[in-house]
Amino acid sequence: MTGHLIFENVTRRFGSFTAVSDVTLEIQKGECFSLLGPSGCGKTTLLRMAAGFEKPDSGRILLNGKDITALPPDKRPVNTVFQNYALFPHLTVRQNIAFGPKIAKWSKAETGREVDRMLNLVDLTAHADKKPAQLSGGQKQRVAIARALVNKPEVLLLDEPLAALDLKLRQRLLVELDAIHDEVGITFIYVTHDQGEAMSFSDRIAVMNKGKIVQTGPPAEIYETPRSSFVAAFIGDTNFIDGKIIEGTGQAFSRCEVEGLGIISVDNDQPVKTGDKVYLSLRPEKILLSSLKPSAAPLENIISGKVEDVIYFGSHTRYWVRCGDWRICAEVQHRNFLLDEKPPTWNDEVWLRWHANDAFLLDQYREEDEALLTLPETP
Amino acid sequence: MNRRREWLNTAPSFLWLTVFVVLPVLVIFAIAFRPTLGGGGIGDGWSLDAIRSLWDFSYLELLSRTVWISAAVTGLCLLVSLPVAYAMARMTPVWRARVVLLVIVPFWTNFVIRVFAWQQILHAEGWLADRLRDLGILGENDRLLGNAFAVILVSVYTYLPFGILPLFAAAEKFDFGLLDAARDLGAGALRSITTVFLPGIRQGLMTAMIVIFIPMLGSYIVPDMVGGTDSQMIGNKIAQRNFGDRNLPQAAALSAALTLLVIAPMFLKRKKNEA
Amino acid sequence: MKRSRFPLLATLAVLAFLYLPIAFLVANSFNASRYAANWTGFSTKWYQRLTEREDLTTALGTSLKIATYASLAAMILGTTAAFALHRYRSKFQETHRLLVALPLVLPDILMGMSLLLLFVAAGVDLSLLTVTFAHITFCLSYVALVVSARLDGFDFTVLEAARDLGATPFQTFRKIALPLLAPGILSGGLMAFTLSIDDYVVTYFVKGPGTDTLPTLVYSMIKKSKELPVINALSSIMLLVTFAVVAIAQRLTRRGSAGENL
Repeated sequence: MTGHLIFENVTRRFGSFTAVSDVTLEIQKGECFSLLGPSGCGKTTLLRMAAGFEKPDSGRILLNGKDITALPPDKRPVNTVFQNYALFPHLTVRQNIAFGPKIAKWSKAETGREVDRMLNLVDLTAHADKKPAQLSGGQKQRVAIARALVNKPEVLLLDEPLAALDLKLRQRLLVELDAIHDEVGITFIYVTHDQGEAMSFSDRIAVMNKGKIVQTGPPAEIYETPRSSFVAAFIGDTNFIDGKIIEGTGQAFSRCEVEGLGIISVDNDQPVKTGDKVYLSLRPEKILLSSLKPSAAPLENIISGKVEDVIYFGSHTRYWVRCGDWRICAEVQHRNFLLDEKPPTWNDEVWLRWHANDAFLLDQYREEDEALLTLPETP
Repeated sequence: MNRRREWLNTAPSFLWLTVFVVLPVLVIFAIAFRPTLGGGGIGDGWSLDAIRSLWDFSYLELLSRTVWISAAVTGLCLLVSLPVAYAMARMTPVWRARVVLLVIVPFWTNFVIRVFAWQQILHAEGWLADRLRDLGILGENDRLLGNAFAVILVSVYTYLPFGILPLFAAAEKFDFGLLDAARDLGAGALRSITTVFLPGIRQGLMTAMIVIFIPMLGSYIVPDMVGGTDSQMIGNKIAQRNFGDRNLPQAAALSAALTLLVIAPMFLKRKKNEA
Repeated sequence: MKRSRFPLLATLAVLAFLYLPIAFLVANSFNASRYAANWTGFSTKWYQRLTEREDLTTALGTSLKIATYASLAAMILGTTAAFALHRYRSKFQETHRLLVALPLVLPDILMGMSLLLLFVAAGVDLSLLTVTFAHITFCLSYVALVVSARLDGFDFTVLEAARDLGATPFQTFRKIALPLLAPGILSGGLMAFTLSIDDYVVTYFVKGPGTDTLPTLVYSMIKKSKELPVINALSSIMLLVTFAVVAIAQRLTRRGSAGENL
């Protein structure tokens, strides 16, 4: 293996609970990598093993090809930004940042210079002599980042660093973090349960559930081609549709019969054969919604339905449309929204249209994942 | 390894408390069954004499007096503490801290000296007694000192912080929006206090009751200094048997009775917590 | 809705009630009269008398000595107890917790009586040593109580953060844990110190004849109605010391809780 930080068949149990189960993961040098999953999925435990706060029950952790599994936290060239900041309350901002250099016995001049550089990087020079209690949440977070980065770690571990902040501040700090990553160029591992943060910030994402990594890839790949119902539902919203393949139309597409909806065309993302039972994920924004019947085109699925629910989100509107036995969620972006134009509303007849390419065949479907959706089907 | 660490951390206090708290309490029960030697000694062998001597009407009276004085003090402390805790909880944090300090400071003055101050205030020829006599509230031969009234008054004084602080701690966490909600739903001021506020600070009331009532049962200084012969409590009897009569087994038997009296409400609380 | 004034008035009345006897003491310590009943003029003669009473000075010395030893020992035992209680969640710790709570609820007279019987049964002569042991016992629990409260509000991830930044376990203890927890341990110790100085009942039972601490001496002076005004003067001075100690403790607590919400 050639990765910068490597987890090799790592398992960690707490009593009878397996927090991390046989995880193998390779993170490249300079990469901004996110561990994404619901709370209790094992992402924080994995991070804590990288930092050295937890020892794996089995498996190895390698950094630059060197086994660091048994190294205590103070001997690893890895630093952490903690979720609750964990700033030393009795030290000033400057003393907090200088803590690592002092322990490492840097010269006074070098410590002073590097701390000043960090204060400048996170824009806290004016607050250098304040105690953490006098800072706002966003400022505390910046101190925590500076305190970790000043040690020039090989890997920076960030454990839900923005979880305690409000939405606007979170978005702003995310942009700042991205800029810092570009500037220092070291490997970032970012743990979060917020798919938006993970998608906007990382080069690659590993989605975790129940102690296992369920899918790894760049954000767009994870979003556009989720392999399981869990990934599809955890990252964004989707419609799950199940049916039976009745006819293969050439190489790439097949026809699929969906009970209570009709026959639709699907893209053969996975090898399928006639008679197979399949599950599809269809993202709401892939569906075009119109009041007039669209003209037919090859590989376009067109079905009609009645609007049951409408939720206005400002930039877009979501419609829940009853089509036969199905309730399908479609999203309409307000690109040319005209106030005098009357959008579809409750009980209107509408047409839904999507290309066969836009629905994705899932490897694995579990009914419990439906609960992750914003507005699950009403019974 | 973890177990050994835990043991190293726990052993010092655990062993100390076992030797100097648990063992002595067991010794009380053991010595209560020993015969008395003249001159303050403890005899060999076993005897039921000390226990049997408790079976006396005067002790029963002493016991019931101890309980009713303790209960009265507890009740009065809670009654006085409630409005104070309520008012403190509604203050700004800065004022809360100030009032908490004001409540605690007198309690840091020597206990004996505080009781001594009351002894002087309530003195038969003191200014207060004179004024009360002038006003006709106090009869010519009535005294403020040397009776159950003085014991209760001074005990309330010494235990008031133990009522105010737990109630305040509970009231501080109470969501006063609930009172507005109760008023909004049609409850009167008093009714919303009794049906919403009091249940809301139940834990604080329980704590205050325990930390006043139990030490009260063992009162010794206050009845000794401001009480009279008709307001002595079980603690005074224990001291008297011990230092006056040098009858250790009887003092132990009385202490055993007091221990049982003290443990009873603690078990009641335990049951309540489990329920 | 108009809020009732009653709770606030009750608070003021209660505060007046709490300070009345103390004010009375201080005022009376300057009373020229031998008897508290009448005010016969301002005088500092009782303070003068106080300096002449060597037995009071000796008793004060004894009290301070016992309080110092007892609070130091209680700081060590109470802090380890609080750490164990905070850190471990076993059945064993539940028993431990009960043990620590016991001295807090056990009436003084029972504690004094039971310790006296223990010493008698074990054939130990009563002395200042037995008094010190008794004081350590109840002080321990109060220190554990105060330190436990501190630990509950303590953010243990700062210890991980220190390790993460390269500090060894010992450096973490010295540079982070100790400075953060010292105020809590010290204020626990201060509380133990005042409790030890204050104690009469337990001391009276286990002190043996001859030696006296300040409270036992004052008590016997009151009982014998000997030089009561001198006691007023003594009380006023002790009050002054107490205020100073409270002020110091307050400053310690404030510094310790800066950065955290108590």
